[in-house]
Order: sequence, then C-alpha cells, then structure tokens
Amino acid sequence: MSFDLNFALATLQTILSALSTTIWVSIVSSLGAAVLGFLWEILRRTSMPLGWVMQVMIDSIRSTPLLVQIYTLYFVFPYYGVTLPALAVGIIALSVYYSGYLAEIFKAGIDAIDPGQFDAAKALGIGRITTIFLIVAPQMLRNIAAPMGNYFISLLKATPYLAVIAVPEMFGSALDVASDTFRYAEPMLAAGLIFLLLSVSIAQLVKMLEQRLLARGKR
Amino acid sequence: MLPQSEAIVEIVGLNKWFGALHVLDGIDLSVSSGARIVVCGPSGSGKSTLIRCINGLETYQAGTLRLAGIVLGQAAGASAAARRQTGMVFQSFNLFPHLTVLSNCTLALRRVAGKSRGEAEDIAMAYLEKVRIPEKAKSYPGQLSGGQQQRVAIARALCLNPRIMLFDEPTSALDPEMIKEVLDVMTALARDGMTMLCVTHEMGFAREVADQVIFMDSGRILECVPAQDFFDGAGHPRSRLFLQTIMKH
Repeated sequence: MSFDLNFALATLQTILSALSTTIWVSIVSSLGAAVLGFLWEILRRTSMPLGWVMQVMIDSIRSTPLLVQIYTLYFVFPYYGVTLPALAVGIIALSVYYSGYLAEIFKAGIDAIDPGQFDAAKALGIGRITTIFLIVAPQMLRNIAAPMGNYFISLLKATPYLAVIAVPEMFGSALDVASDTFRYAEPMLAAGLIFLLLSVSIAQLVKMLEQRLLARGKR
Repeated sequence: MLPQSEAIVEIVGLNKWFGALHVLDGIDLSVSSGARIVVCGPSGSGKSTLIRCINGLETYQAGTLRLAGIVLGQAAGASAAARRQTGMVFQSFNLFPHLTVLSNCTLALRRVAGKSRGEAEDIAMAYLEKVRIPEKAKSYPGQLSGGQQQRVAIARALCLNPRIMLFDEPTSALDPEMIKEVLDVMTALARDGMTMLCVTHEMGFAREVADQVIFMDSGRILECVPAQDFFDGAGHPRSRLFLQTIMKH
C-alpha cells in the first residue's frame, strides 16, 4: 500500500477539524493541572497530618497510569452515581494526572526560593496568603518555567488517550479515518505532524517567556 | 502608645535552644525609646538569634520578651501586631527580586497597612529619597549594587513607620566601598532619633553612633555598657580580646 498524497491532504483536513478540541482541552487541562498542583503543594507544606495525606495523594496520582484514571472516571464512577460527559472526564483526568507532576516541580521551585524571602515577608507583617501569591508564586514560576512548559507539552501529547472514551480530539479522528479506510500511514503521519508543530511552538513560547521572566528579575 | 521614656523592648531571662545548643542563655535587655545599641561578639554568640527573637522570626523557650508592651511568642495575633512596630534589615538584603524597588516598598503598605496605591507610592518615594535612591524606583533589585539594595531594604523597612529598627549585620555582605553609603544612611537615621538595635562589627560606626554597646559570647550578654566605656577598654576581658582582634585589621 503506497503513500497517497491526496488522501493524506484530505485526511489532514478531517483531522484539523478536531484541532480546536485538542487545543482547548489541553489549555483548560493545563490550567486545571497548574491550579490543582499548586494547591496540593501548598497543602503539602502545611501541618503534619494534612501534609502527609497530600504526599500520599500526590504519589498515588503519579503512580497510576493515566488510562486507568480515565477508565475509572468514565466507567467506574457511574456505578456510584457520578456520571460525567466524556469531555469532562477527559479534562478532569488530564488535570488531576498532571497536577501530581506539577506539584513535584512546584515543590522544587519553592524549595529553590531563598529562605530570606520568607523572613522578609514575615518581618514586614505580610500575611500567608499574600506571601503565597505575590512573593512565592512569581518566584517559583520563574524557577520552573522550562520544566513546567515540558509538562504542558507532555499533556498535549497525552490527549490521544481521550480517544478511548470518544472525546472528539485529533488522534480519535485520525483513528476514525484509519478504521474506515484501513489506511494508517496517512492519518498517523498527519496527526503526528500536527502534534509536532504544536509541541515545537509551545517549546518556543516557553523559551521566550522564560527569557522574559529571567530578564526582569535577574540578580 | 507608650510614653517616650518607656522601654520599647523589655527582655527578661530569655532562653533559647536549638536542639542541645543553648543559643540564648538568660538574656536580660531593655531598649528604651531613642536608644542606639550596637550588638557585637564572635560568630555563633547568638547576636542574630537575639534580634530575630525580637521581631518574632524566632521563637524562644523560656523567659519573656515584651515588644511595645505586648508579650511576643504567645498569641499569634499579638505577635503580628507587635511585629509591625519593628523594621528589620537583613545581611543579605532579602529584597523581592521579581518586584521593582518601588513595589518592594509599597507591598506591605498596601497589603498590610491597607494604603491606596497612590498613598503607598508617596510614602515609599519619601523614604527612597531619604536613603538617597529615588531614581532607582522603577529598577529591579538585580540591577542595583549591593549597597543600593541595602539602602532600598532600609527604606522598605522604614515605610511601615516602625518604632525600632533592627539591623542584622547590614554591611557584612557588602564590598568595602559600599559599606560607607549604607552606614551613612544608618547614621542619618540615628540622628533623626530612630531607636536602633544593630548587630555589626563596624566599630567606627559603633563609636560614632551607638550610645550603648552589647558584647555577646556563647549566648550570654557579657557586657552592656555605654559606648565610651566599651572602647576605652575598661570592660570584660573577653570583650577586650575581641576588640583587639578585630581592630588589628
């Protein structure tokens, strides 16, 4: 079976119609993962029982496969009365799964902040919440912009898992074309190409952002 | 408000341990309004720990520490209220690197003192002028020299209008030629009548500005005397030895 350029272009069009779903699901899930991950990490740093619970939770999230989490949310939760649409399950699963990883790099990013910063905040009487959002978060983000960008790319590349619960994203539509025509080369190449372009663009974006952050607060 | 003559800081029998290490061993100290006290002593003698206790950055295990009449180290709310009476300047400046000089100064004014942006900026600019660095208001700390950063840190602490300024080796991290600009600012502050407790080994500054010198060793105050007496070498043999050693260079 030889490669058919015209078929590839037609396939590309079909797959591109699912591009918007892939992109917005990735963006919403990335935001969700960042917010949850930051929350987990802040809670992990509080008093002992809660900190321990958070540690166990973060480890559990990171130590189970994303597919298992997706299937559990989609097929097991309904038995207990929680039925969510596929899109919601996809976004929740990606957010939760990557929140575990982000919590870990947020930890590294916070650990890298000079302890004197916390002394200064305390000495100025600045409260906990203000310290977290106006002093810790900006410096943490500066420390971890690059690895965080990598996880966002990784999250984007994990959206194909959502094909298993029929979220209409790019890989799923490529798979549909393939199973309808029994031709895999063109749809997989097209899907792969689009993911490649997206990943490279995000990587560039992150690099620019990092340089801007570093330039602003350079020591 | 306390009358002017009363003590801002009143420490009785203060004890602190880091594990088995007895870092503060029965400290008694009273700082009255307008006092300019220099604390010196060998490293590890507990100087920094002492002034970090005074603004609640460190806790202690025994004794009482009264700041502006409020006992520190009991209720957390009371500590926060008392802490606002102090301004702290650190050895390593500890400016917020992601904020401009102006924002460093206005952050606490806006978030703690509840001032509007305009009010906060007016106050901050007044103090930046006082430390002679208003032209750097829009710069980031990383763009300033060490001496400039420390002057900004002093302005930042002054913004909240503290009743006592605590200095923790403010010039130890500076290149020699920058020490003077910081000491000049501190001297001017002392002339304005600011109550100051200053951990430093700048003996020239101590001689010129301090009215009292405290010498610490092994967590104890060995000597708390008028500055003149301290430099005349009439004091404790341990402090005389210390003075001789650091004056040699």
